[in-house]
Amino acid sequence: MPVWLTYAVLVLTIAVIAIVVLAPSVTVSRGGKILAFLALFIFPVLAVSLGYDHHMERSKQTSFCLSCHLMEPYGRSLHVDDATWLPAQHYQNHRVPHDEACYTCHEDYVMYGTIKAKWRGMHHVYAQYFENPKPPLHLYHPYNNRECLHCHLGARSFEQGTTHNADPQIMADIKSNKMSCLTSGCHDQIHNSTKLNEVRFWNGK
Amino acid sequence: MTAESNSVKMALRLRVAGTCILLGLLIEALTLTWNSPIAFLVFLGFGGLLMFAGIVFYLLSLVSSSAT
Repeated sequence: MPVWLTYAVLVLTIAVIAIVVLAPSVTVSRGGKILAFLALFIFPVLAVSLGYDHHMERSKQTSFCLSCHLMEPYGRSLHVDDATWLPAQHYQNHRVPHDEACYTCHEDYVMYGTIKAKWRGMHHVYAQYFENPKPPLHLYHPYNNRECLHCHLGARSFEQGTTHNADPQIMADIKSNKMSCLTSGCHDQIHNSTKLNEVRFWNGK
Repeated sequence: MTAESNSVKMALRLRVAGTCILLGLLIEALTLTWNSPIAFLVFLGFGGLLMFAGIVFYLLSLVSSSAT
């Protein structure tokens, strides 16, 4: 939803509410009652819904996640000059959109996954201000292969990968999340936020 | 209770509800220009609460005015 539409609805709502507040006598007539209902119920609900949608969309942005001081090393890890670092190679090779890099990998690709991710985000905001978290941070649950397979399932590099097909059981275990992509020793260089002083950075970051 | 005092009461209620919603909308407009996680909390915690209170107050005043 374009932000100008949200602002347009906000301005319109403020204007009609101002009429009702400044001249409540207009609500005596039938038309005035309808105007009051629009001004004090329909338009505010529309305005708050559009505002909520705008905030939700904005919370997907990489810059939003990295605006917390605690997340800074995780943002830096996207610029590591080493192809074995999984987030870095995804980010630098545009396997994830730059402006939604965190969200793309950390969303649950299930029904209501977006809402769950947003509520986790709300908890992060709460924790940032009231729980004083210390790095390194940990996921609430082990990372599910489902999030990797959302993009990689069916991709030639995944389906025909030599290691993935070394044994038919391996592919079955990856797809059923019995063998983790990340912790089975194959793609285990993740953010490594505590080792950033030991690596070089791409793009002068 | 006279019709006149009823309409004065209703006008006051409309003003209170409208002011609450207006303040909530102004907070919403402010948070839309503020790109920070805390903007979302302010939007929900202050703006949303004021708008909710204003809308509920308006609906309650409709119900109570029709009852009298």
